[in-house]
Amino acid sequence: MKTNENLNIAAALATATCTLLGSAVPAVVSAQEAGEWEFNTSILYYGEDNDRVNDFSVSAIAKRMFADDRILSLGLTIDGLTGATPSGAIQQGVAQTFTRPSGNDAYTVPAGNLPLDDTFKDTRVALSASWQQPWGERNLVSAGGSFSKEYDYTHIGVNGRIARDFNQRNTTVSAGLALSMDNFDPVGGAPMPLTPMLDVGDISNRSGDQDKDVIDLVLGVTQVLRRDLVVQLNYSYSKSDGYLTDPYKVLSLVDGTSGDTLPRTPSGPGIEGPSHQFLFESRPDERTKHSVYAQAKYYLNGKVLDASYRYMTDDWDIDSHTVDLRYRLPFADSRYVEPHLRFYTQSAAEFYQLSLADSEPLPTYASADYRLGDFDAITAGVKYGWKTRKEHDMSVRVDFYQQNGSIPSGKIIGNQANRDNYPDLNALIVQFSYRF
Amino acid sequence: MRDGRTIDLRPAGDDTWTGRFHAMGSPCELVCETTTRSVAQALTGQMAAEAWRIEDKFSRYLDRSVVHRINIAEGNPISVDDETADLIDFATRLYALSDGQFDISSGVLREVWRFDGSDRIPTRRQIDGILQRVGWRRVGWQRPTLQMPAGMQIDLGGIGKEYAVDRCAGLLRDADAVPCLVNFGGDLAASRAPTRRPCWKIAIEAETRNAAERILDLKEGALATSGDARRFLLKRGKRYSHILDPKTGWPVMDAPHSVTVAAPTCTEAGMLSTLAMLKGQAAEDFLDAQQVLYWCRR
Repeated sequence: MKTNENLNIAAALATATCTLLGSAVPAVVSAQEAGEWEFNTSILYYGEDNDRVNDFSVSAIAKRMFADDRILSLGLTIDGLTGATPSGAIQQGVAQTFTRPSGNDAYTVPAGNLPLDDTFKDTRVALSASWQQPWGERNLVSAGGSFSKEYDYTHIGVNGRIARDFNQRNTTVSAGLALSMDNFDPVGGAPMPLTPMLDVGDISNRSGDQDKDVIDLVLGVTQVLRRDLVVQLNYSYSKSDGYLTDPYKVLSLVDGTSGDTLPRTPSGPGIEGPSHQFLFESRPDERTKHSVYAQAKYYLNGKVLDASYRYMTDDWDIDSHTVDLRYRLPFADSRYVEPHLRFYTQSAAEFYQLSLADSEPLPTYASADYRLGDFDAITAGVKYGWKTRKEHDMSVRVDFYQQNGSIPSGKIIGNQANRDNYPDLNALIVQFSYRF
Repeated sequence: MRDGRTIDLRPAGDDTWTGRFHAMGSPCELVCETTTRSVAQALTGQMAAEAWRIEDKFSRYLDRSVVHRINIAEGNPISVDDETADLIDFATRLYALSDGQFDISSGVLREVWRFDGSDRIPTRRQIDGILQRVGWRRVGWQRPTLQMPAGMQIDLGGIGKEYAVDRCAGLLRDADAVPCLVNFGGDLAASRAPTRRPCWKIAIEAETRNAAERILDLKEGALATSGDARRFLLKRGKRYSHILDPKTGWPVMDAPHSVTVAAPTCTEAGMLSTLAMLKGQAAEDFLDAQQVLYWCRR
């Protein structure tokens, strides 16, 4: 009885309102507490030229908003890597044979070619979860965890962050901490540092799995300077402990005068093995990085200019500078184009070598990994974004990456001067993103 | 033009402009889906003009308003224009529907009830005295003529803001304007579904310092919130909300701190949230029975 009376009220009220407002009164309402899932998905292709690394990656982040600004985020990324990566050995005028990392097989690189290890194939699955919520009136806290697994690598991490607003929310100060505990179980076992690459089947210089721990600390300030200008300044500290060596990278052991790699013969007839002398690389078991990051976002009539700079220095003597510029230009129907330019330069690690000379005593640490050398890189591309009929965001990004490295003349011996010791690397990056 | 009747425009994100002004005792804003400042400026100008027109016409505080003219009639019949008559018809219908709980003649109760956060509770004698001047049933209403006993007053404040929001949303629809969100002091309506975003994100302000705001997604329709956030009396630990029951002259006890209702129009949403507050303890039962979307905070 009472319910009927009440129902009459809503219906009668609708009629009365219609009379009051006269002309076409809307009869629909669509409202709900914000709390649905939101999905951010992307497909990324990264391909290096000359049959080097190809990476195909699919990722999805699901976000669930709860009342009172609480947010749960879940992430999944699956990466498929194929292709070949430089092993660290230098080119020779003759063919070179290498034992594969597994120790079960050998492969030969033709004369005059950069030795690439083509057994580089892996699939990585990464999961992450985080929870964010306000704490008191002006603080935002978040906590999360991450896990990833590849054939030879396992990562487990936890992270936390707190941000506090000041100055009528124009200033945000934040501090974040991340800990990661990684385990490396290289194919065929981790080789002892600076021991020679051995014949197929000989694993006498291999040991078991290795651990690595990383602590990352980030302190940041975000300041709204004007309604159209927001700047951010971050300081990051990162300390890695444990196994930081790449177990698949080697250095060529060369003649101190000619610079040619010393030949070697397998230990017996019918046994396959390296044709030259290669030593497994060795890196310090500690690395401390400091970096400073500054970003400015400028809004101008719907256009957004995003400029950032990062300086990184570490105790391996690597210093790097990164400048990143993006300019978003909107046009009709909420479409936009966003040109992108990125410049990167780094100095080599102190133990970076092109090769090791037999005339010199063996150093404690040495690596010929091109990623630890002196190089500059430019990324240039453009992103195009639009909205679907259902108001979902879509974008396609195409970037070209070019890396040019150089070896200081003091590290080049004899005949090495005539070879391309640090071949250029070109890569294409294509990313398709969809948010719904 | 009165002092302070200015509009202010600022960009809100990449493709939205927000126009702000002050009307009917509340901050008002018009969120426009446009990248062009001049479009937002023109629309805000029109909406502000409509809001100020309604304020001038129906505010009981303004000497030139119709309501003021009615309130000083001292028992004489007053003939009103169509728009005023429509509002009075609506109020009369609501009085009947709410069994006398919604009464535009109840404003005089505020002569004894002052909701300033203090502990000044009027005496029963004071309340009984003032109740002699409350009650829509005592009013003679024969459209377009209103005859009210001397000493009685009407106050359209309980309808005016919601009515203004719906009027503005209607004008925007009639003009086929870009999608806009009309928000007059938290009572709001979407002129039509937005196109550059899935929905309008509405933050319903928290009533207490410890509660966080609530975020609602509004695509079409309207939202209105009734609450006693800042207006209440506190005596011996008892909280007297500013929602007064015109039948008793006393505040409704155990009403929620706030009620937000979603409905096709802001007027419906506003009336439903007000009626729910008047139900006190039974606010949720009432709203459940209406089968409307609502969010209550206690």
